Amino acid sequence: MIEHSSTSATPVASRATGPAPDAARMIAVGGGKGGVGKTFVTVNLAVAIAREGYDVVVVDGDLEGANVHTCFGIPAPPVSLADFVANRQEELTKLLVETGVPNLRLIAGTHGNLGSAQPGHFQRVRLLSRLRQLPADLVLIDLGAGTQPAVMDYFLVGDDGVVVFSPEPTSVENAYAFLRAAFYRRMRLAMLTHSVRGLATQAMDQRNERGIRRPADLLREIESLDPSEGARFAQAVRSFRPRLLVNEVRTADEIKLGFSVRSVCRKYFGIDAEYLGYVNHDAAVRQSVVARRPLVDFHPGCDAAVYLRRIARKVSRSLGAPGPAAEEAP
Amino acid sequence: MRPLEEQSHYEVLEIERGASREEVERAYRLGQATYADDSMAAYSVLGPDDLRAARERVELAYEVLSDPIGRERYDAGLAGHPDEAEPEPSEESLLLPLPPESEQAAPVRRRVETGIEGFEDVDDEAEGGTYDGARLRRARLVRGLEIAQIAAVTKINPSYLHCIEDERFDALPAPVYVRGFVTAYARCLGLQAESVALSYMERVQGRRQESRATRGRRA
Repeated sequence: MIEHSSTSATPVASRATGPAPDAARMIAVGGGKGGVGKTFVTVNLAVAIAREGYDVVVVDGDLEGANVHTCFGIPAPPVSLADFVANRQEELTKLLVETGVPNLRLIAGTHGNLGSAQPGHFQRVRLLSRLRQLPADLVLIDLGAGTQPAVMDYFLVGDDGVVVFSPEPTSVENAYAFLRAAFYRRMRLAMLTHSVRGLATQAMDQRNERGIRRPADLLREIESLDPSEGARFAQAVRSFRPRLLVNEVRTADEIKLGFSVRSVCRKYFGIDAEYLGYVNHDAAVRQSVVARRPLVDFHPGCDAAVYLRRIARKVSRSLGAPGPAAEEAP
Repeated sequence: MRPLEEQSHYEVLEIERGASREEVERAYRLGQATYADDSMAAYSVLGPDDLRAARERVELAYEVLSDPIGRERYDAGLAGHPDEAEPEPSEESLLLPLPPESEQAAPVRRRVETGIEGFEDVDDEAEGGTYDGARLRRARLVRGLEIAQIAAVTKINPSYLHCIEDERFDALPAPVYVRGFVTAYARCLGLQAESVALSYMERVQGRRQESRATRGRRA
Protein backbone atom coordinates (compact mmCIF):
# COMPACT_ATOMS: atom_id res chain seq x y z
CA MET A 1 0.00 0.00 0.00
CA ILE A 2 1.21 3.49 -0.77
CA GLU A 3 0.98 5.66 2.27
CA HIS A 4 1.07 9.39 2.08
CA SER A 5 3.95 10.83 4.02
CA SER A 6 3.64 14.30 5.40
CA THR A 7 7.05 14.98 3.90
CA SER A 8 5.72 14.97 0.35
CA ALA A 9 6.59 18.26 -1.18
CA THR A 10 4.54 18.76 -4.30
CA PRO A 11 0.85 19.41 -4.49
CA VAL A 12 0.14 16.03 -6.11
CA ALA A 13 1.65 14.04 -3.30
CA SER A 14 0.91 16.36 -0.43
CA ARG A 15 -2.02 15.55 1.76
CA ALA A 16 -0.48 16.34 5.10
CA THR A 17 -3.49 15.20 7.06
CA GLY A 18 -4.21 12.12 4.94
CA PRO A 19 -7.57 11.26 3.43
CA ALA A 20 -10.72 12.20 5.31
CA PRO A 21 -12.31 9.22 7.07
CA ASP A 22 -15.18 9.13 4.59
CA ALA A 23 -12.97 9.71 1.53
CA ALA A 24 -13.10 7.11 -1.21
CA ARG A 25 -10.22 4.67 -1.30
CA MET A 26 -8.26 5.04 -4.53
CA ILE A 27 -6.52 2.23 -6.32
CA ALA A 28 -4.64 2.81 -9.57
CA VAL A 29 -3.93 -0.04 -11.95
CA GLY A 30 -0.87 0.37 -14.19
CA GLY A 31 1.89 -1.73 -15.62
CA GLY A 32 3.91 0.07 -18.24
CA LYS A 33 3.19 -2.15 -21.20
CA GLY A 34 0.10 -2.01 -23.35
CA GLY A 35 -1.94 -5.15 -23.88
CA VAL A 36 -1.15 -6.89 -20.59
CA GLY A 37 -4.74 -6.67 -19.37
CA LYS A 38 -4.79 -3.53 -17.21
CA THR A 39 -8.25 -2.53 -18.40
CA PHE A 40 -9.53 -6.11 -18.21
CA VAL A 41 -8.29 -6.45 -14.62
CA THR A 42 -9.59 -3.02 -13.56
CA VAL A 43 -13.05 -3.59 -14.98
CA ASN A 44 -13.45 -7.07 -13.55
CA LEU A 45 -12.13 -6.14 -10.10
CA ALA A 46 -14.53 -3.19 -10.12
CA VAL A 47 -17.48 -5.43 -11.00
CA ALA A 48 -16.52 -8.11 -8.48
CA ILE A 49 -16.11 -5.57 -5.67
CA ALA A 50 -19.37 -3.81 -6.61
CA ARG A 51 -21.10 -7.21 -6.49
CA GLU A 52 -19.83 -7.56 -2.92
CA GLY A 53 -21.97 -4.54 -2.13
CA TYR A 54 -19.42 -1.71 -2.22
CA ASP A 55 -20.07 1.53 -4.08
CA VAL A 56 -17.43 1.61 -6.79
CA VAL A 57 -16.44 4.15 -9.42
CA VAL A 58 -14.14 3.08 -12.22
CA VAL A 59 -12.22 5.90 -13.91
CA ASP A 60 -10.78 5.56 -17.39
CA GLY A 61 -7.45 7.32 -16.87
CA ASP A 62 -6.17 6.34 -20.28
CA LEU A 63 -7.24 9.48 -22.09
CA GLU A 64 -5.41 8.57 -25.27
CA GLY A 65 -6.82 5.07 -25.57
CA ALA A 66 -10.01 5.26 -23.54
CA ASN A 67 -12.11 2.11 -23.87
CA VAL A 68 -13.41 1.11 -20.44
CA HIS A 69 -16.97 1.95 -21.56
CA THR A 70 -16.63 -0.68 -24.30
CA CYS A 71 -15.86 -3.36 -21.70
CA PHE A 72 -19.33 -2.68 -20.25
CA GLY A 73 -20.97 -2.73 -23.66
CA ILE A 74 -22.08 0.88 -23.41
CA PRO A 75 -21.51 3.51 -26.12
CA ALA A 76 -18.98 6.29 -25.58
CA PRO A 77 -20.70 8.48 -22.96
CA PRO A 78 -21.52 12.07 -23.95
CA VAL A 79 -19.59 13.32 -20.91
CA SER A 80 -16.09 12.27 -19.92
CA LEU A 81 -12.90 13.31 -18.15
CA ALA A 82 -12.11 15.32 -21.27
CA ASP A 83 -14.87 17.73 -20.18
CA PHE A 84 -13.21 18.19 -16.81
CA VAL A 85 -9.78 18.65 -18.38
CA ALA A 86 -11.18 21.23 -20.81
CA ASN A 87 -12.90 23.05 -17.90
CA ARG A 88 -16.33 22.42 -19.42
CA GLN A 89 -17.50 20.54 -16.35
CA GLU A 90 -16.23 21.19 -12.83
CA GLU A 91 -18.39 18.62 -11.06
CA LEU A 92 -17.01 15.09 -11.36
CA THR A 93 -20.30 13.67 -10.10
CA LYS A 94 -21.92 14.97 -13.29
CA LEU A 95 -19.54 12.83 -15.32
CA LEU A 96 -20.65 9.61 -13.64
CA VAL A 97 -22.51 7.24 -15.94
CA GLU A 98 -24.24 3.96 -15.12
CA THR A 99 -22.49 0.78 -16.22
CA GLY A 100 -25.45 -1.57 -15.99
CA VAL A 101 -23.83 -3.21 -12.95
CA PRO A 102 -25.47 -2.31 -9.60
CA ASN A 103 -23.26 -0.10 -7.37
CA LEU A 104 -20.79 0.53 -10.18
CA ARG A 105 -20.47 3.78 -12.13
CA LEU A 106 -17.98 4.97 -14.67
CA ILE A 107 -16.17 8.17 -15.47
CA ALA A 108 -15.20 7.67 -19.09
CA GLY A 109 -12.12 9.06 -20.76
CA THR A 110 -13.29 9.47 -24.31
CA HIS A 111 -11.20 11.08 -26.99
CA GLY A 112 -12.75 14.52 -26.65
CA ASN A 113 -9.93 16.61 -27.96
CA LEU A 114 -6.81 14.77 -29.00
CA GLY A 115 -4.87 18.03 -29.02
CA SER A 116 -5.28 18.47 -25.27
CA ALA A 117 -5.90 14.90 -24.21
CA GLN A 118 -3.55 14.80 -21.22
CA PRO A 119 -4.22 17.20 -18.38
CA GLY A 120 -1.33 19.32 -17.16
CA HIS A 121 0.19 18.99 -13.73
CA PHE A 122 -2.20 21.32 -11.92
CA GLN A 123 -5.21 19.83 -13.64
CA ARG A 124 -4.05 16.42 -12.42
CA VAL A 125 -3.77 17.76 -8.87
CA ARG A 126 -7.30 19.17 -9.11
CA LEU A 127 -8.63 15.97 -10.66
CA LEU A 128 -7.07 13.66 -8.11
CA SER A 129 -8.35 15.61 -5.14
CA ARG A 130 -11.85 15.64 -6.65
CA LEU A 131 -11.74 11.91 -7.36
CA ARG A 132 -11.17 11.20 -3.71
CA GLN A 133 -14.26 13.22 -2.83
CA LEU A 134 -16.53 11.12 -5.05
CA PRO A 135 -19.40 9.51 -3.16
CA ALA A 136 -18.03 5.95 -3.28
CA ASP A 137 -16.22 3.35 -1.19
CA LEU A 138 -13.66 2.74 -3.88
CA VAL A 139 -12.34 4.55 -6.95
CA LEU A 140 -10.43 2.32 -9.36
CA ILE A 141 -8.33 4.11 -11.97
CA ASP A 142 -7.32 2.35 -15.17
CA LEU A 143 -4.00 3.88 -16.26
CA GLY A 144 -2.64 4.14 -19.76
CA ALA A 145 0.58 2.47 -20.88
CA GLY A 146 3.96 4.10 -20.41
CA THR A 147 5.79 5.77 -17.56
CA GLN A 148 5.23 9.46 -18.27
CA PRO A 149 4.66 11.77 -15.26
CA ALA A 150 0.90 11.93 -15.90
CA VAL A 151 0.56 8.16 -15.47
CA MET A 152 2.93 8.09 -12.51
CA ASP A 153 1.06 10.81 -10.61
CA TYR A 154 -2.16 8.80 -10.73
CA PHE A 155 -0.29 5.70 -9.65
CA LEU A 156 1.48 7.39 -6.75
CA VAL A 157 -1.44 9.31 -5.33
CA GLY A 158 -3.61 6.22 -4.93
CA ASP A 159 -3.86 4.36 -1.65
CA ASP A 160 -2.76 1.28 -3.53
CA GLY A 161 -0.98 0.90 -6.84
CA VAL A 162 -1.41 -2.37 -8.70
CA VAL A 163 1.16 -3.30 -11.35
CA VAL A 164 -0.19 -5.76 -13.93
CA PHE A 165 2.16 -7.80 -16.09
CA SER A 166 2.00 -11.00 -18.08
CA PRO A 167 4.59 -13.79 -18.00
CA GLU A 168 6.51 -12.52 -21.01
CA PRO A 169 9.99 -10.96 -21.00
CA THR A 170 8.82 -7.71 -22.61
CA SER A 171 6.01 -7.30 -20.13
CA VAL A 172 8.23 -8.05 -17.12
CA GLU A 173 10.86 -5.63 -18.42
CA ASN A 174 8.28 -2.86 -18.77
CA ALA A 175 6.86 -3.64 -15.33
CA TYR A 176 10.31 -3.03 -13.84
CA ALA A 177 10.64 0.20 -15.85
CA PHE A 178 7.25 1.23 -14.48
CA LEU A 179 8.19 0.36 -10.88
CA ARG A 180 11.52 2.13 -11.24
CA ALA A 181 9.90 5.28 -12.64
CA ALA A 182 7.26 5.23 -9.88
CA PHE A 183 9.92 4.68 -7.23
CA TYR A 184 12.21 7.51 -8.27
CA ARG A 185 9.33 9.91 -8.86
CA ARG A 186 7.97 9.16 -5.42
CA MET A 187 11.40 9.60 -3.85
CA ARG A 188 11.94 12.88 -5.66
CA LEU A 189 8.58 14.16 -4.44
CA ALA A 190 9.35 13.11 -0.87
CA MET A 191 12.65 15.00 -0.68
CA LEU A 192 12.62 18.56 0.60
CA THR A 193 15.92 20.05 -0.48
CA HIS A 194 16.68 21.09 -4.00
CA SER A 195 20.10 19.38 -4.14
CA VAL A 196 18.75 16.02 -2.95
CA ARG A 197 15.91 16.21 -5.42
CA GLY A 198 18.49 16.83 -8.08
CA LEU A 199 20.26 13.63 -7.01
CA ALA A 200 17.03 11.66 -7.29
CA THR A 201 16.46 13.12 -10.74
CA GLN A 202 19.95 12.06 -11.81
CA ALA A 203 19.35 8.56 -10.45
CA MET A 204 16.37 8.19 -12.78
CA ASP A 205 18.86 8.06 -15.63
CA GLN A 206 20.30 4.56 -15.40
CA ARG A 207 23.58 5.69 -16.96
CA ASN A 208 24.07 8.62 -14.62
CA GLU A 209 27.62 9.85 -14.11
CA ARG A 210 27.58 9.38 -10.34
CA GLY A 211 27.22 5.62 -10.74
CA ILE A 212 23.88 5.46 -8.90
CA ARG A 213 22.45 2.18 -10.11
CA ARG A 214 20.18 1.18 -7.28
CA PRO A 215 18.21 2.82 -4.49
CA ALA A 216 20.89 1.70 -1.99
CA ASP A 217 23.48 3.75 -3.96
CA LEU A 218 21.16 6.74 -3.95
CA LEU A 219 20.57 6.41 -0.21
CA ARG A 220 24.33 6.46 0.42
CA GLU A 221 24.73 9.58 -1.71
CA ILE A 222 21.84 11.33 0.01
CA GLU A 223 23.10 10.41 3.48
CA SER A 224 26.49 11.87 2.72
CA LEU A 225 24.84 15.07 1.49
CA ASP A 226 22.15 15.46 4.16
CA PRO A 227 21.54 12.81 6.88
CA SER A 228 18.03 14.06 7.69
CA GLU A 229 17.04 13.73 4.05
CA GLY A 230 18.58 10.25 4.15
CA ALA A 231 16.25 9.27 6.98
CA ARG A 232 13.30 10.76 5.08
CA PHE A 233 14.31 8.82 1.99
CA ALA A 234 14.51 5.53 3.92
CA GLN A 235 11.05 6.18 5.38
CA ALA A 236 9.60 6.94 1.95
CA VAL A 237 11.11 3.72 0.59
CA ARG A 238 9.48 1.69 3.34
CA SER A 239 6.07 3.21 2.65
CA PHE A 240 6.20 2.45 -1.08
CA ARG A 241 4.36 -0.89 -1.43
CA PRO A 242 3.19 -1.56 -4.97
CA ARG A 243 1.10 -4.69 -5.50
CA LEU A 244 1.91 -7.15 -8.26
CA LEU A 245 -0.63 -9.00 -10.37
CA VAL A 246 0.38 -11.57 -12.99
CA ASN A 247 -2.16 -11.93 -15.76
CA GLU A 248 -2.57 -14.77 -18.25
CA VAL A 249 -0.57 -17.43 -16.41
CA ARG A 250 -0.54 -20.88 -17.98
CA THR A 251 1.75 -22.91 -15.71
CA ALA A 252 2.70 -23.20 -12.07
CA ASP A 253 6.10 -21.71 -12.93
CA GLU A 254 4.41 -18.63 -14.32
CA ILE A 255 2.52 -18.25 -11.06
CA LYS A 256 5.85 -18.27 -9.25
CA LEU A 257 7.08 -15.44 -11.48
CA GLY A 258 5.21 -13.03 -9.21
CA PHE A 259 7.28 -14.20 -6.24
CA SER A 260 10.47 -13.92 -8.26
CA VAL A 261 9.71 -10.34 -9.32
CA ARG A 262 8.88 -9.55 -5.71
CA SER A 263 12.23 -11.01 -4.68
CA VAL A 264 14.18 -8.93 -7.23
CA CYS A 265 12.27 -5.81 -6.11
CA ARG A 266 13.22 -6.46 -2.50
CA LYS A 267 16.83 -7.49 -2.99
CA TYR A 268 17.91 -5.00 -5.61
CA PHE A 269 15.53 -2.05 -5.39
CA GLY A 270 14.62 -2.18 -1.72
CA ILE A 271 10.97 -2.06 -2.80
CA ASP A 272 8.69 -4.14 -0.59
CA ALA A 273 6.20 -5.16 -3.27
CA GLU A 274 3.27 -7.41 -2.43
CA TYR A 275 2.18 -10.24 -4.72
CA LEU A 276 -1.54 -9.62 -4.95
CA GLY A 277 -2.40 -12.61 -7.11
CA TYR A 278 -2.62 -14.10 -10.56
CA VAL A 279 -5.23 -14.64 -13.22
CA ASN A 280 -4.85 -17.62 -15.51
CA HIS A 281 -5.06 -17.70 -19.27
CA ASP A 282 -8.62 -18.57 -20.15
CA ALA A 283 -10.39 -18.74 -23.51
CA ALA A 284 -13.47 -17.29 -21.83
CA VAL A 285 -11.62 -13.96 -21.44
CA ARG A 286 -11.58 -13.34 -25.17
CA GLN A 287 -15.22 -14.38 -25.42
CA SER A 288 -16.17 -11.80 -22.79
CA VAL A 289 -14.13 -9.08 -24.51
CA VAL A 290 -15.81 -9.81 -27.84
CA ALA A 291 -19.22 -9.87 -26.14
CA ARG A 292 -18.33 -6.55 -24.43
CA ARG A 293 -19.31 -7.96 -21.05
CA PRO A 294 -17.16 -8.10 -17.88
CA LEU A 295 -15.88 -11.66 -17.48
CA VAL A 296 -16.98 -12.08 -13.86
CA ASP A 297 -20.57 -11.49 -15.01
CA PHE A 298 -20.38 -13.08 -18.45
CA HIS A 299 -18.75 -16.33 -17.40
CA PRO A 300 -18.71 -16.31 -13.57
CA GLY A 301 -17.75 -19.97 -13.23
CA CYS A 302 -14.61 -19.94 -15.40
CA ASP A 303 -11.14 -20.17 -13.89
CA ALA A 304 -10.14 -16.58 -14.59
CA ALA A 305 -13.35 -15.24 -13.00
CA VAL A 306 -12.72 -17.34 -9.87
CA TYR A 307 -9.21 -15.88 -9.53
CA LEU A 308 -10.42 -12.33 -10.19
CA ARG A 309 -13.08 -12.59 -7.49
CA ARG A 310 -10.47 -13.83 -5.04
CA ILE A 311 -8.19 -10.91 -5.79
CA ALA A 312 -11.23 -8.62 -5.45
CA ARG A 313 -11.92 -10.05 -1.98
CA LYS A 314 -8.30 -9.37 -1.01
CA VAL A 315 -8.67 -5.78 -2.18
CA SER A 316 -12.08 -5.22 -0.59
CA ARG A 317 -10.84 -6.44 2.78
CA SER A 318 -9.14 -3.05 3.13
CA LEU A 319 -12.43 -1.22 2.59
CA GLY A 320 -14.18 -2.25 5.79
CA ALA A 321 -17.83 -3.29 5.73
CA PRO A 322 -19.84 -2.37 2.65
CA GLY A 323 -22.12 0.66 2.90
CA PRO A 324 -25.91 0.76 2.57
CA ALA A 325 -25.54 -0.28 -1.07
CA ALA A 326 -24.90 -3.80 0.18
CA GLU A 327 -28.56 -4.24 0.95
CA GLU A 328 -29.45 -3.40 -2.63
CA ALA A 329 -26.86 -5.75 -4.09
CA PRO A 330 -28.25 -8.91 -5.69
CA MET B 1 17.67 -1.35 2.38
CA ARG B 2 21.01 -3.11 2.38
CA PRO B 3 23.07 -4.50 -0.48
CA LEU B 4 22.85 -8.26 -0.94
CA GLU B 5 26.33 -8.92 0.43
CA GLU B 6 25.29 -7.34 3.74
CA GLN B 7 22.01 -9.23 4.10
CA SER B 8 21.59 -12.07 6.57
CA HIS B 9 20.80 -15.59 5.37
CA TYR B 10 17.20 -15.08 6.41
CA GLU B 11 16.95 -11.86 4.42
CA VAL B 12 18.53 -13.54 1.40
CA LEU B 13 15.94 -16.33 1.46
CA GLU B 14 13.23 -13.82 2.48
CA ILE B 15 12.02 -15.90 5.38
CA GLU B 16 11.34 -15.28 9.05
CA ARG B 17 13.83 -16.29 11.72
CA GLY B 18 11.47 -19.05 12.86
CA ALA B 19 10.89 -20.45 9.34
CA SER B 20 10.29 -24.20 9.16
CA ARG B 21 12.51 -26.60 7.23
CA GLU B 22 9.83 -26.72 4.54
CA GLU B 23 9.81 -22.93 4.21
CA VAL B 24 13.59 -22.93 3.86
CA GLU B 25 13.32 -25.51 1.06
CA ARG B 26 10.64 -23.54 -0.69
CA ALA B 27 12.54 -20.27 -0.41
CA TYR B 28 15.68 -21.95 -1.71
CA ARG B 29 13.91 -23.28 -4.79
CA LEU B 30 12.39 -19.90 -5.47
CA GLY B 31 15.80 -18.23 -5.10
CA GLN B 32 17.37 -20.71 -7.51
CA ALA B 33 14.65 -20.08 -10.09
CA THR B 34 14.64 -16.30 -9.61
CA TYR B 35 18.40 -15.89 -10.13
CA ALA B 36 18.95 -18.58 -12.78
CA ASP B 37 20.72 -17.42 -15.95
CA ASP B 38 17.53 -17.71 -17.97
CA SER B 39 15.27 -16.18 -15.32
CA MET B 40 12.50 -14.04 -16.80
CA ALA B 41 12.23 -12.15 -13.52
CA ALA B 42 15.85 -11.03 -13.49
CA TYR B 43 17.33 -10.94 -16.98
CA SER B 44 16.35 -7.36 -17.77
CA VAL B 45 17.61 -5.88 -14.52
CA LEU B 46 20.56 -8.02 -13.42
CA GLY B 47 23.74 -8.87 -15.33
CA PRO B 48 25.52 -12.27 -15.28
CA ASP B 49 27.77 -11.20 -12.39
CA ASP B 50 24.82 -10.05 -10.29
CA LEU B 51 23.00 -13.30 -11.00
CA ARG B 52 26.01 -15.41 -10.06
CA ALA B 53 26.50 -13.44 -6.85
CA ALA B 54 22.81 -13.82 -5.97
CA ARG B 55 22.90 -17.57 -6.59
CA GLU B 56 26.01 -17.96 -4.45
CA ARG B 57 24.36 -16.09 -1.60
CA VAL B 58 21.19 -18.21 -1.95
CA GLU B 59 23.27 -21.41 -1.94
CA LEU B 60 25.23 -20.29 1.11
CA ALA B 61 22.07 -19.29 2.97
CA TYR B 62 20.51 -22.66 2.16
CA GLU B 63 23.60 -24.61 3.21
CA VAL B 64 23.53 -22.98 6.62
CA LEU B 65 19.79 -22.80 7.27
CA SER B 66 18.93 -26.28 6.00
CA ASP B 67 21.32 -27.84 8.46
CA PRO B 68 19.96 -27.85 12.04
CA ILE B 69 23.39 -27.58 13.65
CA GLY B 70 24.69 -24.98 11.22
CA ARG B 71 21.50 -22.97 11.66
CA GLU B 72 21.74 -23.12 15.44
CA ARG B 73 25.30 -21.81 15.32
CA TYR B 74 24.29 -19.11 12.88
CA ASP B 75 21.32 -18.06 15.01
CA ALA B 76 23.61 -17.85 18.03
CA GLY B 77 25.82 -15.50 15.99
CA LEU B 78 22.80 -13.34 15.16
CA ALA B 79 21.60 -13.28 18.79
CA GLY B 80 21.33 -9.77 20.07
CA HIS B 81 20.14 -8.63 16.66
CA PRO B 82 16.60 -10.01 16.70
CA ASP B 83 15.50 -7.87 13.79
CA GLU B 84 17.96 -7.68 10.95
CA ALA B 85 16.03 -5.02 9.13
CA GLU B 86 15.46 -2.46 11.88
CA PRO B 87 17.47 -0.58 12.94
CA GLU B 88 20.34 -0.56 10.45
CA PRO B 89 22.92 -2.96 11.89
CA SER B 90 26.37 -2.14 13.15
CA GLU B 91 29.46 -3.29 11.29
CA GLU B 92 30.03 -6.35 13.47
CA SER B 93 26.56 -7.75 12.99
CA LEU B 94 27.25 -7.85 9.28
CA LEU B 95 29.99 -10.42 9.80
CA LEU B 96 28.02 -13.51 8.98
CA PRO B 97 29.07 -16.68 10.78
CA LEU B 98 30.60 -19.18 8.35
CA PRO B 99 29.43 -22.78 8.27
CA PRO B 100 31.93 -25.35 9.55
CA GLU B 101 34.24 -26.76 6.86
CA SER B 102 32.48 -30.10 6.84
CA GLU B 103 29.30 -28.32 5.77
CA GLN B 104 30.78 -26.32 2.94
CA ALA B 105 30.35 -29.15 0.46
CA ALA B 106 27.92 -28.93 -2.44
CA PRO B 107 24.40 -28.26 -1.14
CA VAL B 108 21.85 -31.00 -0.97
CA ARG B 109 19.10 -30.31 -3.48
CA ARG B 110 16.22 -32.12 -1.91
CA ARG B 111 13.03 -31.87 -3.92
CA VAL B 112 10.05 -31.41 -1.68
CA GLU B 113 6.91 -30.43 -3.48
CA THR B 114 4.91 -28.02 -1.42
CA GLY B 115 2.31 -25.41 -2.15
CA ILE B 116 2.92 -21.95 -3.46
CA GLU B 117 3.49 -19.77 -0.45
CA GLY B 118 0.90 -17.12 0.14
CA PHE B 119 -1.74 -18.54 -2.15
CA GLU B 120 -3.04 -21.36 -0.01
CA ASP B 121 -6.22 -19.32 0.37
CA VAL B 122 -6.83 -19.64 -3.37
CA ASP B 123 -7.48 -23.35 -2.95
CA ASP B 124 -11.06 -24.41 -3.29
CA GLU B 125 -11.28 -27.36 -0.96
CA ALA B 126 -12.91 -25.48 1.90
CA GLU B 127 -15.70 -24.33 -0.39
CA GLY B 128 -17.36 -27.73 -0.82
CA GLY B 129 -19.54 -28.21 -3.89
CA THR B 130 -18.75 -29.90 -7.16
CA TYR B 131 -15.26 -30.89 -8.21
CA ASP B 132 -15.00 -30.18 -11.93
CA GLY B 133 -11.96 -30.20 -14.20
CA ALA B 134 -11.26 -26.50 -13.75
CA ARG B 135 -11.27 -26.88 -10.00
CA LEU B 136 -8.81 -29.75 -10.17
CA ARG B 137 -6.56 -27.58 -12.35
CA ARG B 138 -6.77 -24.72 -9.87
CA ALA B 139 -5.91 -27.07 -7.02
CA ARG B 140 -2.91 -28.33 -9.01
CA LEU B 141 -1.65 -24.87 -9.93
CA VAL B 142 -1.96 -23.52 -6.42
CA ARG B 143 0.33 -26.35 -5.32
CA GLY B 144 2.88 -25.30 -7.91
CA LEU B 145 2.58 -28.56 -9.84
CA GLU B 146 2.71 -29.18 -13.59
CA ILE B 147 0.83 -31.98 -15.36
CA ALA B 148 4.12 -33.80 -16.03
CA GLN B 149 4.83 -33.99 -12.30
CA ILE B 150 1.39 -35.45 -11.58
CA ALA B 151 1.91 -37.94 -14.42
CA ALA B 152 5.29 -38.98 -13.03
CA VAL B 153 3.80 -39.75 -9.62
CA THR B 154 0.51 -41.32 -10.69
CA LYS B 155 1.80 -43.04 -13.87
CA ILE B 156 -1.26 -41.70 -15.68
CA ASN B 157 -0.77 -40.65 -19.29
CA PRO B 158 -0.45 -36.80 -19.28
CA SER B 159 -2.94 -36.51 -22.14
CA TYR B 160 -5.58 -38.18 -19.92
CA LEU B 161 -4.80 -35.72 -17.14
CA HIS B 162 -5.30 -32.85 -19.59
CA CYS B 163 -8.59 -34.41 -20.70
CA ILE B 164 -9.72 -34.71 -17.06
CA GLU B 165 -8.99 -31.03 -16.44
CA ASP B 166 -10.57 -29.92 -19.71
CA GLU B 167 -13.52 -32.29 -19.23
CA ARG B 168 -13.07 -33.82 -22.65
CA PHE B 169 -14.92 -36.93 -21.56
CA ASP B 170 -15.12 -38.36 -25.08
CA ALA B 171 -11.35 -38.68 -25.18
CA LEU B 172 -11.20 -40.58 -21.88
CA PRO B 173 -11.45 -44.37 -21.45
CA ALA B 174 -14.33 -46.19 -19.72
CA PRO B 175 -15.69 -44.56 -16.51
CA VAL B 176 -14.15 -47.21 -14.29
CA TYR B 177 -10.70 -46.09 -15.45
CA VAL B 178 -11.57 -42.41 -15.20
CA ARG B 179 -12.64 -42.94 -11.58
CA GLY B 180 -9.26 -44.53 -10.89
CA PHE B 181 -7.42 -41.68 -12.61
CA VAL B 182 -9.31 -38.98 -10.76
CA THR B 183 -8.83 -40.76 -7.43
CA ALA B 184 -5.08 -41.03 -8.02
CA TYR B 185 -4.87 -37.42 -9.24
CA ALA B 186 -6.79 -36.08 -6.23
CA ARG B 187 -4.70 -38.16 -3.84
CA CYS B 188 -1.55 -36.78 -5.45
CA LEU B 189 -2.80 -33.25 -4.74
CA GLY B 190 -3.57 -34.19 -1.15
CA LEU B 191 -7.33 -33.76 -1.64
CA GLN B 192 -10.02 -36.04 -0.23
CA ALA B 193 -9.72 -38.48 -3.10
CA GLU B 194 -12.95 -40.41 -2.66
CA SER B 195 -15.24 -37.39 -2.45
CA VAL B 196 -13.44 -35.67 -5.33
CA ALA B 197 -13.83 -38.78 -7.51
CA LEU B 198 -17.48 -39.13 -6.55
CA SER B 199 -18.18 -35.51 -7.44
CA TYR B 200 -16.26 -35.67 -10.71
CA MET B 201 -17.89 -38.94 -11.80
CA GLU B 202 -21.31 -37.39 -11.30
CA ARG B 203 -20.33 -34.89 -13.99
CA VAL B 204 -19.09 -37.67 -16.25
CA GLN B 205 -22.34 -39.62 -15.83
CA GLY B 206 -24.44 -36.48 -16.32
CA ARG B 207 -22.69 -35.70 -19.57
CA ARG B 208 -23.09 -39.31 -20.79
CA GLN B 209 -26.80 -39.22 -20.07
CA GLU B 210 -27.10 -35.91 -21.91
CA SER B 211 -25.36 -37.22 -25.01
CA ARG B 212 -27.43 -40.44 -24.92
CA ALA B 213 -30.61 -38.35 -24.81
CA THR B 214 -29.37 -36.20 -27.69
CA ARG B 215 -28.58 -39.28 -29.75
CA GLY B 216 -32.02 -40.70 -28.93
CA ARG B 217 -33.75 -37.52 -30.11
CA ARG B 218 -31.73 -37.56 -33.36
CA ALA B 219 -32.60 -41.21 -33.96
